[in-house]
Formats: sequence, C-alpha cells, structure tokens
Amino acid sequence: MDFLEPMIALDETHYQDGYKDGYDDGMVSGKEEGRQVGLKLGFQVGEELGFYQGCLDVWMSIIRLDQGAFSARVRKYMEQLAALLSNYPLSDPENNLQDMMKEIRLKFRVITGSLGAKLGSARKCAAPGIMEDTWSSVSNNHLKSLQLEKILESCYFLSL
Amino acid sequence: RIWKRAPDGAWHCSDVLEGVHESTVRSCAWSPDGKLLADASFDGTTAIWEYSGGDFELVDTLEGHVNEVKSVSWSQSGSMVATCSRDRAAWIWEILPGNDHECVDVLEGHTEDVKMVQWHPFFDVLVSVSYDNTIRVWADDGDGKWPCVQTLTEAGNSGHSSTVWSISFNQKGDRMVTCSDDCTLKIWDASIDLSQPTTGEGHESWRHISTLSGYHGRTIFSVHWSSEGVIASGAGDDAICLFAEENSMVEGPSYRLILKKEKAHDTDVNCVRWCPQNPRVLASVSDDGTVKLWELQGDILD
Repeated sequence: MDFLEPMIALDETHYQDGYKDGYDDGMVSGKEEGRQVGLKLGFQVGEELGFYQGCLDVWMSIIRLDQGAFSARVRKYMEQLAALLSNYPLSDPENNLQDMMKEIRLKFRVITGSLGAKLGSARKCAAPGIMEDTWSSVSNNHLKSLQLEKILESCYFLSL
Repeated sequence: RIWKRAPDGAWHCSDVLEGVHESTVRSCAWSPDGKLLADASFDGTTAIWEYSGGDFELVDTLEGHVNEVKSVSWSQSGSMVATCSRDRAAWIWEILPGNDHECVDVLEGHTEDVKMVQWHPFFDVLVSVSYDNTIRVWADDGDGKWPCVQTLTEAGNSGHSSTVWSISFNQKGDRMVTCSDDCTLKIWDASIDLSQPTTGEGHESWRHISTLSGYHGRTIFSVHWSSEGVIASGAGDDAICLFAEENSMVEGPSYRLILKKEKAHDTDVNCVRWCPQNPRVLASVSDDGTVKLWELQGDILD
C-alpha cells in the first residue's frame, strides 16, 4: 500500500494548492468589489442624511427668526429628528443601521406631513421638486440598499 | 361620487369629486358634523373636501403614508382622523382650524397591510384590522403617543385565522364585530375603556363573545352594525346576511341569522352600510359596479 500513498498525497496537494490560489485571488477581487460597493452605498446614505440635516438647518433658522413658525408639537418632532441624525453612526457601522434609517425617514415624513398647509403654497412652488424627488429617491434607496446588502453579504463570504 | 335623493325618492349623482387623486379612491368617510368628507386613496394621500354652498372644495391633503391608503375614520369629536395603509401603519392626524393638520402619531405594530381603522364611538380608542389576521387596539397614553394596548389574535383571543377586513361598533359602543377572509364574523366585548390606565395586576381586555360561521361561503369583506342592533355583512359569495342579537340571562348574548340575501349582487359585495337617518335602510356596493339600496321590513330585505 505504500506505493499508493504519494499518489493520493499528490492529488491532495494539488487540491490544496488550487484552493489556496483561488482563495488568494478571491480575497483580492472580493475586497475591491466590496470597496466599490461600500463607496456607493456610503455615498447614498450620506446624501440622504445630508438632505435631512439640510432641511433641519433651514427649519432651525426659521425658528430662530420666528419662534411661532411651527407648533410646539412640530418643533418637538424636529428636535427628535436632530437627535436621530446625530445618533447615526457615520464612522462606526453598527448592526441596526436599517432600523435607524427607517426611524429617521419616518420622522421626516411625519414632519413634512404636519407642515402641509403652513408651507402649503411655498412647498408647492419652491421646493416641490425636491420634496417629491426625495420621496421617490427615499423609497428607491431603501430598495437599492436591500439589493446592495445581498452583494455585500456575498463579498463578506469571499473575504472569509 | 356624491348621490342625492330627490323629493320624489329617486337618487341621482349630484357631484363627482375628481382631479385630485392619481389612483383608486378606496374609501371615504364623512366628519361627524357632516361638513367634511375624507377620502383614502391608493396614491398614498387622503383628501379632505369641504361641503359649503352646494359645492365640494378640496381643502386639505394628508400625506405621509408610503403606499396605498386603505381606510379613513373620523373620531367622534371630529378633531382627529385616522388612516391606515398597506405600509402596515396607521396614522392619527389632528385636524386643526384653517384647514390645517398635524400628525399626532404613527401606529406601527401590524406586520402586514392594515385594511381598516375605526374609532370607538365614545372612548379615545382606535381599532385597526389587518392582513396579518389580528385586531389591534390603540389608546392615547396621555403623552401624545398612542401605543397598542391590546392585540386580538387567533391563538390568544379566539381571533380570526385569516385577513380581517372590516370592523364595526354597535351603537352603545360595548360590542364590536369583525369580519374576515376566514368566512366568519366575530363579536367582541368592547365595554372596557382601554384608554384608562389599569391599576393592579389584572389586565382588563376586550374579549371574544361569539363567532358566526357557516353563513358565508367566501371572504366577508364588510360588516356594519345598525343603530337598531342589526348586523349586516357583505361577502365574496355575492350575498348579504343580517343578524340580530339576543340576550339570554343565562348564556349571555347570542346572535341569530335574520335572513341571507343570496345573489344580492352579481358578484362580490364589497361594502355594506346602514343609513344613519333610517336604520332599516341598507346600502351595498359591489364589484358589479352597482350601488343598491335595501329596506328591511320584517323578515324581508328588498
């Protein structure tokens, strides 16, 4: 039986060599792909959060000029949105990012839903495009991030 | 469409409210004072129309839901409107003077499409029913938020085993009836004011009283309780059923079928509603495109 061993061993070594080469190649391309996806997703998240922060900045300026511009309830919602935005971990990604994003989006919708009549005419002529585009981009982003999540998952597997 | 009855008794369409929604208008509701009409649309918005000077005018739009709004309900004071949607949430809006509004709270908890919302006639309590087979009760916690104070499930409360489509309270507000894709109607004891904090251990809750099954062969889409205590149901089997309550001292309330109107419509009956002015008159609508008015006389519905 001894003469058979090197043959079997050779088969095994070839396998191991191939596996290692594949693994190393995969590691490199996987990391690059992951980096691309991360950049894209990161930009989208940043863009969305930036939009909300921008709206908040405008609303805060309005409040400074006119205390009574918004009702107490709406001011409270804006404060809550500000807190949610500052809590979002931009540098250290945690696990429940999707939930935090959902909360932020909902709070934003509640605010704009409550501003309807007051900003009525202004909303309809000045920033309608922005508001409406945000709607579609917000819901689209959510869908896109779900797809990206799947790609990210597969990258994760490759890099293991 | 707004329908008016002429002095000679005939009904005609007096107004068509259009040009506002970009998709199906699924349901509508008059405010308690009758001056405003809210309509729920698949375009995600709810429009508020004001009836003044013989004309309907769009005065406000409630935007917030992400997709189709399925139902809208006015609170008994007329100061609040509740809407629910396929986005699994129910929104409570405060209607303010000057055709303004604010969002009071977003009620999340259902895991599927919310089919209908209905305010309790007296308590500050909102009920929602859903594709997730449950009935949820929400109440004001005094702090501006409306948490879910009770969930009626199949397992825990003898609840429905499939989509719950509709809900109606009786006039006294101590009973609630729900109907479902499981072809049953369920009656619940809703006498406890769930908006009041309960002290002590025992958590009071609304409980199941009775299940009416075997009367409809298909999904029951709509149910409505008249001020005289007659429950009307409309279903996918094209029929309308009427039930009356009987109270026996020993066994408690029970419900018997008064009559079943087979082939009330050519196809699915989508909604049934009793006339607020005449509790013997019932309106029904169907996928066959017709609105039918019925009168209950004795044991006949015609």
